[in-house]
Amino acid sequence: MASGDRRLEEPGDDILVRIRGLAFAHGGRRIFDGVDLDIPRGKVTAVMGPSGTGKTTLLKLIGGQLRPQAGTIEVDGEDVHALSKGDLFRLRTRMGMLFQSGALLTDLTVFGNVAYPLREHTRLPESMIRKLVLIKLEAVGLRGARDLKPNELSGGMARRVALARAIALDPMMIMYDEPFTGQDPISMGVLVKLIRQLNDASRLTSIVVSHDVADTTSIADYLYVIAGGKVMARGTPAEIRASSSEWVTQFMEGLPDGPVHFHYPAPALATDLLGAG
Amino acid sequence: MLEALARLGHLGLHALARLGRGHLLLLAILSGLPSLLARPRLLLAQIHNVGVLSVLIIVVSGLFVGMVLSLQGHYVLSQFGASESLGVMVAASLVRELGPVVTALLVAGRAGSALTAEIGLMKATEQLSGLEMMAVDPIKRILTPRFFGGLLSMPLLAAMFSAVGVIGGYFVGVGLLGVDDGAFWSQMQSKIDWREDIVNGVIKSLVFGWVVTWIALFEGHDAIPTSEGVSGATTRTVVHSALAVLCLDFVLTALMFGD
Ligand SMILES: Nc1ncnc2c1ncn2[C@@H]1O[C@H](COP(=O)(O)OP(=O)(O)O)[C@@H](O)[C@H]1O
Ligand SMILES: [Mg+2]
Repeated sequence: MASGDRRLEEPGDDILVRIRGLAFAHGGRRIFDGVDLDIPRGKVTAVMGPSGTGKTTLLKLIGGQLRPQAGTIEVDGEDVHALSKGDLFRLRTRMGMLFQSGALLTDLTVFGNVAYPLREHTRLPESMIRKLVLIKLEAVGLRGARDLKPNELSGGMARRVALARAIALDPMMIMYDEPFTGQDPISMGVLVKLIRQLNDASRLTSIVVSHDVADTTSIADYLYVIAGGKVMARGTPAEIRASSSEWVTQFMEGLPDGPVHFHYPAPALATDLLGAG
Repeated sequence: MLEALARLGHLGLHALARLGRGHLLLLAILSGLPSLLARPRLLLAQIHNVGVLSVLIIVVSGLFVGMVLSLQGHYVLSQFGASESLGVMVAASLVRELGPVVTALLVAGRAGSALTAEIGLMKATEQLSGLEMMAVDPIKRILTPRFFGGLLSMPLLAAMFSAVGVIGGYFVGVGLLGVDDGAFWSQMQSKIDWREDIVNGVIKSLVFGWVVTWIALFEGHDAIPTSEGVSGATTRTVVHSALAVLCLDFVLTALMFGD
C-alpha cells in the first residue's frame, strides 16, 4: 500500500484529479471525512466500496454538482469549487460522465442524444454533426440503432449510447458510475473492452466507480477502496489483493462474515424468540 | 403537548423551507428568459404541448358548463321577465369567472400533473443531472420553456373555454328554451365590456397560469427521486394548484370587481 502511495506522489507523476481533505455530509450524514485521492492521467482508476458509501456522491463532487464542506478537488489544475458557473460549465465540457441509468433524454432518438452536446456546445454544420455522431456510435457498435428511442434499448445498449454521448466532445476524462451493475455477461464483456479501448486509444483518463470487485479489478490500473468515509486501501490490483487488512480481504473476497457482520445488530436469537415481544 | 408543539414547529419550518426553495427556483426559471427568447421554437413546442394535452377536455367542459349556465340562468331570469339578458349572463359568468377558474383547474389536473411527473421522472432517471454534466443548465433548458409555455397557454385555453361555453349556452338558450336569437347576441355585445370583463379575465388567466405552472414545475423539481416521491409530488401539484387558484380567484375578484 505504502509503495503505491509513494509512486503516485512522485513529482513526475501526472495527476489529473487531486482530492485533498475532502469532507462531505448529506443532511446530517457524514459521507466523506478527510479523503485524499489522486487520479493519474491516462489510466483507468477504480474507486470501490460497498453500496451507499458515497461513490456516486464522489463523482458528483468531482463534477461540481455537489459542494464539499471542507477540502479541495482539483481537475486539471483547476479548483472545481472555486470556479465561476461559466468556467465550471467550460470544464464540464471536458469531462464525460456515464450515469448508472444512462440518463439518456427520453424524448430524443439515439442519434439526437449523441448529437445533443455537439449541438449545444459547437456551431458545427449539421452535415459535420452527422458524421461525428455516426463515428461515435460506430465506436460503441450502435451505428445501426441511431433511430431508436431510449425506451427501445436494452440496459447495456442504453449505457453504450450514453458512452457515445459522453465522448461526443472528446473529453479529457470519463467518469463511469457502476458501469457493470445489472449487465448480462455479454454486455458486461463488451463494456469492459470498450472502457479499456477508449482509454488507451484516445489517451483518456477513466474513473470507474463500482462495488463489483471482480470486473473492476480486471480493468483497473489503480484501485482505491473507500468505506466509512475514509480511504481503506489504495494500490494496484495486485497490491490490494495482497493487503493484510482483514476488512479489505473481506470486501475483496466477498466473504459473508468478517469485520463486517452478516447480522444487523440484534439481541441474541433465543432471547428474541422467547421474549414476550 | 410539548411534542405536538415541536411537531408543529417542524412542519412550519418545513413549509417555509419549501417556500424558499420554490422562490429560488422561480428566480432561476425567470433568469432563463433571455436564452429562451433566443430559441423561440422551444417555447412554441411547450405551448403546443400544454395545448394538445388540454384542448379536448377544455372544449368538452366548456360546452357543458355553458349549457348548464344557460339552463340555470334562464330559470332565474325568466322569473323576472328578463330572459333576453341570458346572453349577457352566460358570457359574463364565463369570461369573468368560470373561464379562467375552471380552465386553470382542468389544466392543473391535466397538464400540471403531467409536467410534475415529467420533471420528477427526469430527475429520478438522472436526466437533469446528465444535462448538468453536459454543461447544460437544466433549469434554463427544460424548466423555463415549460413555465412560459404554461403561462401563455392559460389565457388561450380560457378564451377557448369561454367561446365554446357561449356557443353551448346559445344552443340551450335559443335552441331549446326559445330565448330570442337577436336579443341573446345584441345584449351580450352591448353589455360585455372590453376593459372590465375581458381584460380582467385575461389577467386572471395569466395569474393562474403563472401559479399552476410554477407549482407543477417546483413539485417535479423538488420531488424525491423515486417512484413514490414522484407520485406524491403529482398529487400535491393538483391539490395545491386547485387551492391556490380558488383562493387567488377570490382575492383577484375582490380587487377587480369589489367596489
Ligand atoms: N440527495 C441526497 N440526500 C440525502 N442523502 C443522500 C442523497 N444522495 C445520496 N444520499 C445518501 O448518501 C449515501 C451515499 O450515496 P451514494 O453516493 O449514492 O452511494 P453509492 O453510490 O456508493 O452507492 C447513501 O447512504 C445515500 O442514502
Ligand atoms: Mg451509486
